[in-house]
This record gives sequence, structure tokens and C-alpha cells, in this order.
Amino acid sequence: MRKTMNHVWRIAVAASLCVSVTACSGNSTPSPSGSGDASRGATTSEIRFWDPYPQHAAGSAWDTHVKSCAPAGSTIVRSSAPQTDLFNQLTTAVKEGNPPDIVSLDNPMMPEAAASGLLATAGQAGIDTSGVDENLLGPGIVDGVAYGVPFGSNALGLYYNKAILDQAGIDPASITSWDALNSALEKVVAAGAKGITFSGVTGEEGVFQFLPWFWGAGASLSDLASDEAVSAGQLVSDWVGHGFAPKSVVTDNQSAAYDLFLTGEYAFAENGSWFAAAAAAADFETGVIPIPSKAGGVAPVPTGGEFAVAPVQTTDASDHYANAAAVIACLTSGNAAMVTSETLGYLSARPKTRAEQVAANPVWAPWVASVEGAEGRTTELGAQYVEVSGQLSQAIQGALNAAGDAAAVRTAFTDAAGI
Amino acid sequence: MGARSVRTGASAVEEEMTQLARPGLPVTRRRHSTTWAGIAFAAPLLAYLGLFYAYPLGENIAMSLQRFDRGTFVHGGAPFVGFDIYREVVGDAKFWRVVAQTGSFTLVSIICQYSIGLALAVFFHRGGFRLSTVLRGMFLVPWLLPVIVSGTVWQWMMNPDNGVLNSALGVFGAGPVWWLNSHNALMSVTIANIWLGVPFNLVILYSGLQNIPADLYAAASIDGAGAWQQFWRITMPLLRPVSIITVLLGLVYTLKVVDIIWIMTMGAGTSQTLATWSYGMAFGKGASTVIRYSQASAVGTILLVVALVFGLVYLALQRRGED
Amino acid sequence: MRRPPWKTVIAIILTAIMLFPVYWMINVSFTRRASIRKGDLVPRDFTVEHYAVVLRDQLPHLATSLLIGLGTVALTLLLAAPAAYGLSKLPFPGSRGLAFGLIVAQMVPAVVMSLGFYSIYTRLGILNTVPGLIVADSTIAVPFAVMLLTAFMTGIPREMVEAARIDGASHGRVFWSVVLPLSRNSLITVSLFAFLWSWSDFIFASTLNREGGSLRPITMGIYDYIGAQNQEWGPMMATAVVASIPAAVLLVVAQKYVAAGVTAGAVKD
Repeated sequence: MRKTMNHVWRIAVAASLCVSVTACSGNSTPSPSGSGDASRGATTSEIRFWDPYPQHAAGSAWDTHVKSCAPAGSTIVRSSAPQTDLFNQLTTAVKEGNPPDIVSLDNPMMPEAAASGLLATAGQAGIDTSGVDENLLGPGIVDGVAYGVPFGSNALGLYYNKAILDQAGIDPASITSWDALNSALEKVVAAGAKGITFSGVTGEEGVFQFLPWFWGAGASLSDLASDEAVSAGQLVSDWVGHGFAPKSVVTDNQSAAYDLFLTGEYAFAENGSWFAAAAAAADFETGVIPIPSKAGGVAPVPTGGEFAVAPVQTTDASDHYANAAAVIACLTSGNAAMVTSETLGYLSARPKTRAEQVAANPVWAPWVASVEGAEGRTTELGAQYVEVSGQLSQAIQGALNAAGDAAAVRTAFTDAAGI
Repeated sequence: MGARSVRTGASAVEEEMTQLARPGLPVTRRRHSTTWAGIAFAAPLLAYLGLFYAYPLGENIAMSLQRFDRGTFVHGGAPFVGFDIYREVVGDAKFWRVVAQTGSFTLVSIICQYSIGLALAVFFHRGGFRLSTVLRGMFLVPWLLPVIVSGTVWQWMMNPDNGVLNSALGVFGAGPVWWLNSHNALMSVTIANIWLGVPFNLVILYSGLQNIPADLYAAASIDGAGAWQQFWRITMPLLRPVSIITVLLGLVYTLKVVDIIWIMTMGAGTSQTLATWSYGMAFGKGASTVIRYSQASAVGTILLVVALVFGLVYLALQRRGED
Repeated sequence: MRRPPWKTVIAIILTAIMLFPVYWMINVSFTRRASIRKGDLVPRDFTVEHYAVVLRDQLPHLATSLLIGLGTVALTLLLAAPAAYGLSKLPFPGSRGLAFGLIVAQMVPAVVMSLGFYSIYTRLGILNTVPGLIVADSTIAVPFAVMLLTAFMTGIPREMVEAARIDGASHGRVFWSVVLPLSRNSLITVSLFAFLWSWSDFIFASTLNREGGSLRPITMGIYDYIGAQNQEWGPMMATAVVASIPAAVLLVVAQKYVAAGVTAGAVKD
């Protein structure tokens, strides 16, 4: 109890000092590479594993799979939280010297996490990144150093409701440009169905869904006010204006947009490969086509999915890294790698495993091209991406609210770019 | 029944009322033992406040005076910048717009919650009808729901395409409303927040009404005062201490509301308030996923100062009630 | 005495309006996922599968929430009732400042509080424990409880306290045998809020108890249905329905108590 009080006093004193004296500097300035090396450590009896999949509850296939990767003599304690919360919890845990052994971190967060000194390098933590596709590994490489390995990759595609397209006399294979897509939307709506669902919600999720149109128009993240960028904004804005897309896109996240598609009333849904298995089992027949670019052809989609990383450790670092090395190796190599991808609904980040996956499960076939052509969101801008993504999110919201008004769409993009 | 007779009638109960309405009269002869006993009774609370509030509060202020990012938050070394962060926050293009939105969200919420809560409390307190206890209990059910659920339900009911609210408007011949677009968002989240706050007001005001002796009403009734006069001459004055605290707490809670707004719109468009803005920056959520600890703390501290002002108003009102 | 039926009718209509969102939640909890966004007034695409999922996953979390809620109520009353007595009946120098501090305390954002707690708890080694969460949850209710109880206790006639004192009762005895029984209604009101706030807390639970496994409260259990890109609204709504039941029972019992305390005064009308 005395010890307790001492702690509390010390904290209170420290806090008051912070106010009066200049800065409260901690132990050191950010240093991405601390000490510790997986090869010099030994696995411990308890291994803590954090992931952003709360939907995979205790006892689920994913939970069992992760726990089966515990090295002999160890048990894995797994816990979950949504993406952003997980990143914040990791931040606080590293600050307090109490991070887990392994974290599954969303790929656009990688540059910031690495630059903030939260992650051990792949070398330190004994993580093998060989054989992973360059575009998928990209977000995990900061200043030429790898910080983790992707568990797999997902991608965005255009789901369609076959019955609705048949009725309107549309061949999905013919939808390879914006014009083709727009004329298809016009036809299905004229035939009495609804058009397309997607997520335009504020934040990264809405940006993720917008990027295929943005990149597909030839726009670049370094210039949000370009004509190409505005034309992508105009495309989605017109959908709302013409009644092709529901007005609720301004608040729908990807799950909500998918639920709308599940009603069977909509012809198309822009959504992720994680729904591929569920869509195949829907009440109606569905199919998938790649997202078309403006001029024609397949638009680049952003890479999706999480990286397996080892947080920076301050005490017994080598042992913690040894834990990470063992568990990550188990989850991302050999036969277990395929189980990992299948249970998460991802395509493997290694071409060899991916080919086996497609051979075993035909539902993945339409996604391969999208995954292989995907671009990392942070590849162009690195840690600057989060800032630009926030501006782009404002622009998207402005465009959707404009419901087709061209002047308002342009203003939304120029305002967001700060011009 | 004339106003005169009411006035004279009311004076019959005046004496009893005065005693009740001025309960906090300062003790004229203060004994030392009383003082020490008072401190002894409050001591656990004092220790508790010192332990659990002082540190976060100090930390919050300290953070707003240094420029933190994720890296310096973890490893230290954030530069001390004085009031620079405050200048940036107040100088932000959207600061005053957000202040105005916060003001209108808070005021409209409070006025509606209090008046609806009071009307319901009086209605149920008069009682005398079947099922009154059960129905009053039912009114609290919205409070049992996690806000993630009730917020989502409101979002669905406000769906512009097939939401039940627009269907209901359609019955009355009104056109559909795009509830959650950037322009209407403030109105929509305010409606949901009023709904959320009515039970709180109802419960507190109802228990306040219960503490008003029934014989006061009986006496006034004999004196010929109608329901309306009884309300203004007995209920409102005697309910004053409880009303003040209800409104004050309502203000404080409404100022810091994040969850219902966040779930419905993530603070998009006009629904951004100081609290949601601060929340978004502190957690790196919302439109921008950049984490801004210092700016979030600065906005948080500004909110604290606003609460301080309300606190002063409260003390002044309390003092006036006693003198 | 005649009971006017029109009042009951009005009350039922008002309650129905107030509870419509609750009805909507129940409606969705019985609807298959494929139809939850159709906006049907009744669950046409009926299913009970969400409840099967909830009964499988959520019962331990419900028990944990109940435990935490009751613990929070106890701790809140333990701290707030004596303090309110001191503030209202035994003013001491600085008591006004304390009242003021309570208002400020309620303004500290939960985010800030939770970060402060995290760093204290890590050092004390009480992260992911139920008592730790009870203490944290009590900070939502304690300032409120002190303010409300002070307001109500101020209304207890001074003469009653002084009469007891003259009879030789100690301050402790006056508090226990005179003030507390007279404050029963407000104590119940405060307990109700303390319980409901801890019942609905998410920020503290997600910061301080995230690795608590089945010893996490129901709010965390509900959030388990929010995946990275996929949310299961059916089970979420069903959990909310199931979780409301014990709380509703508690509410009705508490209401009965409050009602019983005042019938003595109320029968006359």
C-alpha cells in the first residue's frame, strides 16, 4: 500500500512539474531501433497477441488457428479491438512499457507506427519477408527498412446482382469503363431496380473506397485539386444526384453498404474481397468484376489488410521478439499460411500460396488481378498519407453532399487541397 | 377565480414554503466541532478527487502546452510551446463555426430536455391514472440501451431513402428530409440527443417533485388556486434547487457529448462540436486520422473553462437562493 | 375516486413515441441480416438466430457488467453520501471550492481520464481487473452523486438534525439514523444513475480492461460484433435487448421503492 501511495505521489508531482517547468521529456528521443534480437531470446510461457478482428470471438476458426501456433510450452493470449483503437492502445502500451508480443496492424498505419518508434524491425524480430509481393510489402517498408509482413491482402471489386443485370439486359463483362458503368446504372434504374451501394463515410474507410475511382481517373494523391480528382468526385456525386446511389452513402460504412446490397434491391456494390464467401452464399446470385477505370481497363485499387508486427520492447526484448518470430513464422509460412488467408478471407501475399489458394477455392479467381495490381496507399506519400487522406475525406463528403452540383464538387476538392 | 384571491390564498402557505425553499441558511454560530466533522465526512471524497482527477487534469493541461505527436507521446521529447497550440486552435478556420454549433446543440438540447422532462415529471407526478408507475418506468428504458445501438437505430430511422421518419412525414404530406447530410446533421443529432436526455431530466425532476409536501398543494387548492397557478407558485419555486442542478449537469453533460454524434455522423458537416472535434483529434478518428494530442487537449481545456464559467454561475445562483 | 382514462391514453401514446427507437431495435434483432436495411415496420424476414448467438457468447459479459455495476453503486454511495452530508449540513472552510471542483471534475474528458488511469494502473498492476474498472467507472458517477445528494440533503430541515444533536447523537449517528433514511429517494436515484453509467461505459472498459477475456463488461461484448470491415447488427441489437432485461428489472424494483417511499404523502389527492 505504501508503494502504491508512493507511485501516486510521484505521478502527481511529475504532473505538476510538467505544468510549471518547461517540457517533460521522457527517457529518450524516438529511436526506431532499440536493443534486442529474436535470435538471442527464448520464447516465454505467455505470448500476447493483439488483432483488429473482434468478430472472430474466442473459439472461432481464427482464434483456434492463432492459438495453435503457440510454440511448445507457451500459450497465446489473444485480444481484439477495432483498427484505430488498436493502434492507440498499442501507442499507450508501448509508452508504458507494456506492449503485446505480436500485433496485427492495418497497412496504412505502418509508416506512422514505424516513424513513431513503436515497432521493432523485421530483422530484430526475426520476421521473414522474403517472397512477398512488392506492392503488398510496400506499406511496411519505411526508409528502406521492413517492419513486418502482411498476413494477406484484400482488394475492392464491384459485386453485382445477376438477376437485376439480366433483366436490364446488361452483360457484366462489358462494364470496363465509367461510361459503360454509368449507362448500366441508368438502365437498371430505368428498369425499376436500384443502382449501386458504396461507403462514403467520413474517414479512412470512405477514402479507401474512393481511391479506385480517384486513381482510375488518373489523379494523384499529391494533387487533390486536379481535374482528374474532381472528375472522380463528380462521378460519385452524380450517382447520388441521379438517384443511382442511396443518399445514406454519406454515413454508410462498408458493412452498412454491404447490408444494403444484401437486400437484393441494388444492382451493384463496391466492396471488399472479405465478403466474397458471404456473397457467394447470398439469397440471390452474385458475381464480381474489377472496378473499371475512367478511360477503360481495370482501375488500381488500394491494398488492404494487416501486417504482423512486433512492438518495440524495453524489458526482456529478445525474449519478446523470439515469441513474435515463432508465432509470425507459423502463421505466414507453410500450410498454415493458407489457413491464415482462408480464415481471414484474404488472398495470400505470396504468389505461390496465392496460386494454391485459387486452385483450391474458385471464389478467389476474380480477385487475383485486383490484388496484383493494387497500390499501397502510403507508397507515394509515406507517413504524410494520413494528412492527405483527411483532406480527401473532406472533399469526398463535400462531393457526395453536393448531389451532382458540379460547382460545389469542384469547390469541395479545391477547399480540401487548401487552394 | 381572480388573481387576487390566489395571491391571498398563496400567502397562506407562504410561511411553510419559505422554510423549505431556503434550506441552506448559513449557520449563525459555527462550532469548531462542526467544521472538523464536515471535513471528516468529506475527507474520503477529497482524497479520491486528488488521486484520480488531479493527475489526468494536470496531464491534460501539460499536454496542451507541448507539441506532441505519436512519437514524442511515447518516447518523450515534445517541445514546450507555451500557448501556441491555443492560438492555432482558436485561429483555425472552423473554430468559431464549431463553437456556434456547440452552443446551438447544447442550448436547444437543454431547453427541450428540461421542458419535456419537467412536463412529463409533473404529468406523472399528478398521476391518478392507471399504469402511471409502469409507464413512467418505461420512459427510462432508452437509458438502458448502449449508445452504439440507439445511435445506429436513429441513423436508420433517419435514412433519407427508406427511413421510418421520412415515411411518417410522408403520411402528413411532407417531403422526405435528408436528415444526415452536412447541412441537416446538427438538427438530427440534436433530436437524437434530446431523446437520450429526457429520461435523466424526468428522473431527477420527478424525485424533486416528490420532496414537495403534498399538503402545500392541498392548501393551495383550498385557497382556490388552479393547476396552472399551483405550478408557477408552488412547483417551480420549490423545485428551484433541483432545477438549477439539473440544468447545470445537463449543460456539462451536453457539452461533452461525443458518442451519439459520433455514431450517427462522425461529426461530419454541421454536427461537429468542440467535444467531437477534440475526441477525433485525440484518437486520430474522423475525417483525419492524424493524431493531435496537443490540439485535442487544448480544445478539452477550453471546454473545461466553459464549464468553470457555468460553475461560477451556479455558485452565484445558489448564493442568491440562500440570501 | 374516478380515474380518468384519457390520461392513461395520453401516457401510453407518449410512452410509445419515446420507446419507438427501442421497438426498432427489437424489430431488427428478429430480422435476418439480408433484410435489416429494408426498413420494414415488422420483422417480416423473421429469425431468432441472433438470440442463439447472443446466448452462446454474451452471458459471462452480462454477469461481469452486473458485478461491476453493483460495485460501482456501492463505491459511489460510500464516497458520496458522507461527503454530501458534510457539504450540506456541516459547512467547512473551502466547501464551496469543493462544490466548484466537482463541476470541473465532471468536465474532464473521459479520454483524458482513461489515459491517466491507464498509466496509474499499469504501475499498480491492476489493468484488466474488475476492481480496477469499478474504481474507474465510479469517477463518472461520484461528482454527480455528491452534487445531487448535497442538493437534496440541503432540503432536510436543519431542525431535525439539530434536535438529534441536542439529544446527544454523534454526527455519525445523525448521518446514519436521520439523514440517510430521509434521503432514501435521492440515494436510489443516484444508485440508478451510477449503475446505468457503469452499465453503458465503453471508454474505460476498452482502455483498462481490454485483455480481460470473459471478465469484460457487456459493452465490450457488443463491440465484439464490430469487425474490421464487417458489423453484425443482428446480434448487436439482440445483445442490447437481452442486456436491457436485468437492468429493466432493477429499474422497476427501484421505482417501486421510490413510489413506496412517497405514497404516504400521495394518497391524499
